[in-house]
Amino acid sequence: MQETVLLPLIILLPLLGFAVLGLWGRRLPEPVPGVVASALVLGSLLLGLVLLGQGGARWAVEDWIPGVPLSFVLDNLSGLMVMVVAGVGFLIHVYAIGYMHSDPGFSRFFSYFNLFIAAMLVLVLGDSLPVVFIGWEGVGLASYLLIGFWYTERVNADSARKAFIVNRIGDLGFLLGMGVLWAHFGTLSISELRELIAPEGEFAVGINVAAVSLAAFLLFIGAIGKSAQVPLMVWLPDAMAGPTPVSALIHAATMVTAGVYLLCRNSFLYFDLPDVSFWVVLIGMLTALYGALCAFGQTDIKRIVAYSTLSQLGYMFVAAGVGAYWVAMFHVLTHAFFKALLFMSSGAVIHALGGEQDVRKMGGMWNYLPQTRIHGLVGALALGGLPLLSGFWSKDAILAASYEYSALLWFVMLITAALTALYSMRWFVLVFMGKYRGHEHPHESPAVMTWPNHVLTLGSLFAGFVGLPYVVQSENLLEPWLNKAIVHHEHEKLPVLDEWALILVSAVVALGALYYGYRFFQAEAAGRLPAWFTRFQEASLRSFYADDVYNALLVRPLKSLAKILFDADGGLLGGFWWLGSATGNLGALLARLETGYLRFYAAGLLIAAVLLVLVGVIR
Amino acid sequence: MSWLVVSALLFTIGAYGVLSRRTAILVFLSIELMLNAANLALIAFARQWGSLDAQVVTLFVIAIAAAEVAVGLGLIVAIFRRRETTGVDELRGLRG
Repeated sequence: MQETVLLPLIILLPLLGFAVLGLWGRRLPEPVPGVVASALVLGSLLLGLVLLGQGGARWAVEDWIPGVPLSFVLDNLSGLMVMVVAGVGFLIHVYAIGYMHSDPGFSRFFSYFNLFIAAMLVLVLGDSLPVVFIGWEGVGLASYLLIGFWYTERVNADSARKAFIVNRIGDLGFLLGMGVLWAHFGTLSISELRELIAPEGEFAVGINVAAVSLAAFLLFIGAIGKSAQVPLMVWLPDAMAGPTPVSALIHAATMVTAGVYLLCRNSFLYFDLPDVSFWVVLIGMLTALYGALCAFGQTDIKRIVAYSTLSQLGYMFVAAGVGAYWVAMFHVLTHAFFKALLFMSSGAVIHALGGEQDVRKMGGMWNYLPQTRIHGLVGALALGGLPLLSGFWSKDAILAASYEYSALLWFVMLITAALTALYSMRWFVLVFMGKYRGHEHPHESPAVMTWPNHVLTLGSLFAGFVGLPYVVQSENLLEPWLNKAIVHHEHEKLPVLDEWALILVSAVVALGALYYGYRFFQAEAAGRLPAWFTRFQEASLRSFYADDVYNALLVRPLKSLAKILFDADGGLLGGFWWLGSATGNLGALLARLETGYLRFYAAGLLIAAVLLVLVGVIR
Repeated sequence: MSWLVVSALLFTIGAYGVLSRRTAILVFLSIELMLNAANLALIAFARQWGSLDAQVVTLFVIAIAAAEVAVGLGLIVAIFRRRETTGVDELRGLRG
């Protein structure tokens, strides 16, 4: 691992793009800002790959703040994330050149996009928690700016604020976690903390386990906020208000996986804390199930995919919770491919239909979009876990890891996998199958939008082969490579028969659910659904009243408190206002004496003089 | 005593003129009337008390009144040139 100043350059390239495009982008003609932004991200990707090929890199300013170095590290873990962020990010940048065509905010969009990439790379490469936190807040800012990109619509601006405010709750956990670590260990450098807490792959003797547990749990709250896990999941579906490339890049492929990355990066805190890990598993499981159930009722093409993202993030948390950190990162990788692909094919469909997002007015796209139909099919099948596709391998690895943890967990995750296959087929059938139910004239997207999808399709098909189960390939590519950078417990592999049985079961379940979903949801496209399912969909559409509960418990009491305070303020100010207006009225009254008539003043003088004389005489 | 009565009469007529006339010239004339009523009263008191002080004051008043007439008439001419009128009711530019 070398010390090199090239490492911060990875971050500076997109940051430069942000500055240049933000300052002068409006003067550039249309495709130029997009091309510049894409090229800079590609530069970051290539630089990262070169440095990773040389065995990683680190760069630090020691004593940036006493005890807190400004340090970056490129090891295998952050290297994988750099590949995902800059690689998938580059493809989405290229796609956005086509998608944002003739938008008045074209250069502003790419300036924000580059800001996001820069902040995400800071988050990924940071080797001290405050640096990670800077990136953490930076991506939050970029997410806010891009959700509210079309800020003239009130609902978009509201969604942006909602995402930002809900994330604040998680960020508080992150800050408090850092505080606990600082108080007990006097440093916030991740590598130093790792040396102090888990030097030999297990907790150091005499460590304060309670403090480590507290810090780990608080950091986990931060991860819950950023990755939209169960109590704080409400912001992610609304974040779909942003343009589709934003949903693909930020709210599917990269930013929302930051929570998973945080757990893996700090695995030295979690690997020996079964209590905290239990909570990670529980939250992840609930989110996976909840997201899957919510996806059934959505009518917005992007919200279906958004809830599936929620569900898949739950899978990643389960993997991290059961201690299979490399599996979590494996799913981050495959998920980045097929979820970005799903979003971008949704974008292509929206583009083809002139902005229509309601799946009830879609259908029949199979006949209109000869390339996007392949993208959509591969994306949906990879999400649904069709055997041999990327989603199958990573989900199978998670299922195997959860089987080792507890059979009940495995069962719940298997049910969720079946639900995933069902709703991914629902998405596919409603969009592509049957007859077209709208009145637009669908047209295929330009090449600048289809080519990134071709690449993502390849990724969705084949990315799973880097992490095959050991019974297929005794030593896969990803696991040993990633485990160099992760602190974890070595554990017994499952017996060969069990492993095969698990693979078989999940393959059968996925195939069955995909087929059943394909048949079942053609009934929805035709409007013939069983009554119980329609009722279920109504609840699902409103995401099982999560927003209503939050409104009743938090938002409305806060709003009425604010109203009381506002009225009190107004009353106080009104008192002053009354005083002021009283003086003003008196003045106005007196001003009416000034008639401007000479004779009026003269009479006044005379009367006053007479009165004075009279007073003098009477006295 | 009858001097004082004449003086008071003159003063009242002048005051009435100031209040009732519309043109600035007549208002000015009425003011002169009031001024001379005051002069008359001063002379009357001087005669009664046998003191020359009031007569001196009267001479001063007459001298200053001459200057004041020059200034006042000048103002009125200037106003007329500017506004084509000397009606005091139309000169309301300083109304609050």
